[in-house]
Amino acid sequence: MHHYNWNRRDFLKGASAATMAALAASLPTSQIITGCSPKPTASADTVILLWMAGGMAHTETFDPKRFTPYETGMEGNRVLSTFPSMPTVLDGIQFSEGLQSIGGVMDKGTLIRSYMAADMGHILHSRHQYHWHTCYEPPQTVAAPHIGSWIAKELGPKNPVIPAFIDIGQRFTVGEAEELKAFHTAGFLGNEFGPFFIPDPSQGLDSVRPPAGMDSQRFERRNQLYNELINNSPVGEFGSDYQRESLRRSMEQAYALLNSPESKAFDLSTEPRNSYDIYNTGKFGLGCLLARRLTEQGARFISVTTEYEPFKGWDTHENGNSRLVEMKKQIDGPVAQLIKDLDQSGHLDRTMIVLASEFSRDMMVEGRPDATVKEQVNQPDILNDPKFYGMHRHFTDGCSMLMFGGGIKKGFVYGKTADERPCKTIENPVKIDQIHQTIYHALGIPPETNYEIEKRPFYTTPDGKGQIIKELLV
Amino acid sequence: MSVEISESFWLWKFLGHLHPLVVHFPVSLLCVALFLEFVDYTRKSKIYARAILMLLWLGTLGAFFSVAFGLVLANTEEYGGDDLPIHQWLGIATLILASATIYLSHNRHLRTYRLLLIATVLGVSLAGHYGAMLTHGSDYLSGTLPATHQDPAPSPSQFALTSTTEELDPNQLQELNIEVRTILAHNCYSCHGEVKQKGDLRLDSKDALMAGGENGPILQPGNSGKSEIIRRISLPANHKEAMPTKGKRLTSSEIEILRYWIDRGAPWPEGEERSIFRMAEMAPRLPQVPQGVYKNPIDRFVNSYFQKLGLKWTAPVDDRTYARRVYLDLIGLLPEPKELEDFLTDNAPNKREKLAQQLLNRNDDYAQHWLTFWNDALRNDYTGTGYITQGRSGITPWLYSALAQNKPYNEFVHQLISPNEASQGFIKGIKWRGTINASQRTEMQAAQNVAQVFLGLNLKCASCHDSFVSDWKLEQAYGFANIFADTLLEINRCDKPIGKMASTQMLFPELGEIAIDASTEQRLRQLADNLIKPADGRLYRTLVNRIWAQLMGRGLIEPVDVMDNLPWSQDLLDWMAYDFTENGFDIKRLMLQIVTSEAYQLPGTSVKEPEILMNQDYQFTGMVRKRLTAEQFADAISRTFVPMYADSSLSDKLPEEIKGKIPFVRASLVKNDAFLTALGRPNRETVMTTRNTQANLLQALELTNGQQLDRTLKEGAKQWKQHYPQPDLLITEMYRRALGRTPNQKESETARRIVGNQPNENNIADLMWAMAMLPEFQLIY
Repeated sequence: MHHYNWNRRDFLKGASAATMAALAASLPTSQIITGCSPKPTASADTVILLWMAGGMAHTETFDPKRFTPYETGMEGNRVLSTFPSMPTVLDGIQFSEGLQSIGGVMDKGTLIRSYMAADMGHILHSRHQYHWHTCYEPPQTVAAPHIGSWIAKELGPKNPVIPAFIDIGQRFTVGEAEELKAFHTAGFLGNEFGPFFIPDPSQGLDSVRPPAGMDSQRFERRNQLYNELINNSPVGEFGSDYQRESLRRSMEQAYALLNSPESKAFDLSTEPRNSYDIYNTGKFGLGCLLARRLTEQGARFISVTTEYEPFKGWDTHENGNSRLVEMKKQIDGPVAQLIKDLDQSGHLDRTMIVLASEFSRDMMVEGRPDATVKEQVNQPDILNDPKFYGMHRHFTDGCSMLMFGGGIKKGFVYGKTADERPCKTIENPVKIDQIHQTIYHALGIPPETNYEIEKRPFYTTPDGKGQIIKELLV
Repeated sequence: MSVEISESFWLWKFLGHLHPLVVHFPVSLLCVALFLEFVDYTRKSKIYARAILMLLWLGTLGAFFSVAFGLVLANTEEYGGDDLPIHQWLGIATLILASATIYLSHNRHLRTYRLLLIATVLGVSLAGHYGAMLTHGSDYLSGTLPATHQDPAPSPSQFALTSTTEELDPNQLQELNIEVRTILAHNCYSCHGEVKQKGDLRLDSKDALMAGGENGPILQPGNSGKSEIIRRISLPANHKEAMPTKGKRLTSSEIEILRYWIDRGAPWPEGEERSIFRMAEMAPRLPQVPQGVYKNPIDRFVNSYFQKLGLKWTAPVDDRTYARRVYLDLIGLLPEPKELEDFLTDNAPNKREKLAQQLLNRNDDYAQHWLTFWNDALRNDYTGTGYITQGRSGITPWLYSALAQNKPYNEFVHQLISPNEASQGFIKGIKWRGTINASQRTEMQAAQNVAQVFLGLNLKCASCHDSFVSDWKLEQAYGFANIFADTLLEINRCDKPIGKMASTQMLFPELGEIAIDASTEQRLRQLADNLIKPADGRLYRTLVNRIWAQLMGRGLIEPVDVMDNLPWSQDLLDWMAYDFTENGFDIKRLMLQIVTSEAYQLPGTSVKEPEILMNQDYQFTGMVRKRLTAEQFADAISRTFVPMYADSSLSDKLPEEIKGKIPFVRASLVKNDAFLTALGRPNRETVMTTRNTQANLLQALELTNGQQLDRTLKEGAKQWKQHYPQPDLLITEMYRRALGRTPNQKESETARRIVGNQPNENNIADLMWAMAMLPEFQLIY
């Protein structure tokens, strides 16, 4: 097991060089400390992942191309975008229609237009989601941890009564649930660092209050009873035992959380009406609201998903155009409001928000433009029915992402895709290990962080090699 | 993280280089100032006061420039190491102290002023000393003192590293060479080995090491001082030429051994290289059972182990504790009050043995308990990845009946490796759609899993590249995987084909051959035949160790998947494994042997941190207290209060006739759910042989407000209220069922206060909850 802590001597080294040199020789600080800071300085304490589950088409959202309205009998190959483009607050940057609110906060973050999902043969949601969340391609010889679990393990909870890794919005009763479970886990790090699930944000309070029908008085009395029985029972003979200690300690923590004032944050009904209404576009919107409230109370890592369910949400195998009208409605207001609220309260400075999807979509191309893979979707070349009007195939080579706060540049655009089909990345390609490393870096987690499992060092990114995308950081 | 040092502006370089010149001024000026102050002090005069002040001013000014230039120097040149920051801060401290001294000299706080002056001189002296160490080496001064001529730091080496004249015998040369290679393997191979050759350098063979890298030879036999490798590993950590660039630094004793080895001419004995990794003996061994009063041979071995370590036997646990332990360990259930009563009142001298045998005879209860362990180990589950696309098959009915019938272990293994349709799920692995990493193809999964589960051997590293932590090579892993393959595998190193087909070979050729041209089915049969031979001591030691670990809370060897580690008693392990093969490969018999031993009946022991259990110097003093598994806990709730699972929760992958064989729906038979997951039931995507059992917050939340437990206790309270309207009876009965004892007076009082005279459902549910959370309920002690 390797622990990388900010060590006092490194700190002294950095601090002394910087401050004293600036004093004594009036040199610019940055020049002096070059080569002197072996550990990244954290620019963020909290991460919120906004997960667009099911494959969000870049040309229909944050990277729109030429718009071609629907006509019966049209050639699919002519269609790059099924929505008109709208201006954003950034000069020369347009978003697809329906995302104007997010377009309005792009001066507070970075737009990435060049994320390239891996090529894993078939383009499959569950495997690509696994890859995005763990940074490892499935299957692995050991159970790979979710990025939230790594962060929970390395940094622990920010506020001791708020679980370090909270997962909002995903149910595990839907199709491919087992495939989803495979990466919603702390894996070999142990379930201590696993996700705290809140499948329905409007029921968030239920996860942190006494069981239904038990008032707080009774809840408290029950705990007292437990403590009294422990003290009375002949457990003394068991001496100091990590099992017994961890049982007691974890129970105390649970009660502390359930009784803490912070647990009110889970209760969305206490949110002012007008604010609640902006967020209330459905489960995802309320998830954003819950994420905001938990961030204010000291959450460490939160994932909010539009929820993956085969052929639902962003997983548009038909009716792509009309379905996306709905999806945009779900995300546009809440995401923009989340950014604004956190900005206003000052939390955005230390909170990194990442909006991403496992891959993009295209009307014609499946997977990589130059590779033949199994078609996952029936899509005719000539559109005789509006249900074929939309991005229905899985596309890996140009995906859009948004990042805000926690040291991410403001009003910045990174990467570019081609304006004609295939609309693939033509500038600054970004891979998943770079995204992970950049997030870890912002959190002050060094790239060589690893956990030794079965005598093998298992790094946060494969072989510890993920490169930070410095351009994204202030 | 880059540690690039950018090319500096010439002026900074120049100023930096002035530092060593300037520093001499404050040193001498401040010392003279102190000397004059001392003269004044002894003469009680003030003759030198003005001169002292001037010296102080000049010295302080000098200190200021020294600090300034020093900081520039530190950042333009490649200085590093632990001494730099100390030097730096001492210099800065001196500057501050000197300034304060001047200030106080005006105010004439005479005592403080003088103390400060002394401190200033101390500071400047220490700063100077550390500065000297930076330029001349840390032993520049101290090295001349007679007292510091010590022997080099004690090292694990058996060589007197100081001697370079004494001849080493061939055996010593071997040992030295092995130590050197061990150091290189742990610190260097990952970048200078089979997979990567950074700087065109390999250190994993004699020829490669002597050939050096892109910058020429890395060592000069006979002269460590002129050997590049020694220079590089001795550099301070943040120096850009320092090695290793990744991972931890070499310890001083490791450097010392390498230095010594080079000074001896870097000897590398001819002939076959001895391994640097320990490999356990393969052959079975029958150690002589020690003499003694104990009937059970296990106890005779433990007794001689205790004698060797000076440990004492303690009195065995009482009947009640024994019964609870053996019920949970063998069939996973709490004893019913009636069962416990019968046992406690039984006067037969051999009643413990009788009880254990009775429990083992309860075939279905036994199977339903051990199913959990084997499902984890064999990666078998009722739901999970892979099923959705028929990329996986379960072995549940086969496994259930194998356990219920106590299938001899040799046959058990044989049928998993050379399977029929019902047992093929284990070696078939999980097939994901799309392309996967070569080291995870199903044939390689089979090779890895067979090696791990049955042989306690890690083949995972070697299935990608030659292992850094054992002698297993990539080609051996592929050769082994080939046995499971329908078409010959091409070797991939780190997921890239190397243009070579794998041969087909056993991991341990001494166990037998595999015919290359045979069909897959034939090859698998040969493999199974070979692996289950009694000569395969490794297979049976691995099994015996696993069972011991399950019952005793810690294996003779840990981790249980690393059978090349040393056991705390080789004799005991070898004897049990041998005895096992001589007596029908009977797992139940082995269990009976263990649970009737005095060693098993010793009082439970515990440790403060779970990591301590993994220590290689662990000493056995009795069974280590265990936490109930998720399944045992759920079953204990079901049995004590009210069944937690309904019939409808039973997995559809179970044998047809299961319903007639269960007292209630046991948790080992249901699909995984949030409750069981929180309590530690794994996703069975990969083999898991040891669960993490420590409690944690997420688990406690599930227990505190999780729906599943809450619902169960509500239902339980409803039923209990009807059965036991009288509060004292209710409390006594609950204690008997949950903890196997009656409550003491204080417990009665507390419980009575809660349930009141007329127990209502809420109060009963709360009492149930509190009882279920007790360590006494949740631990096997």
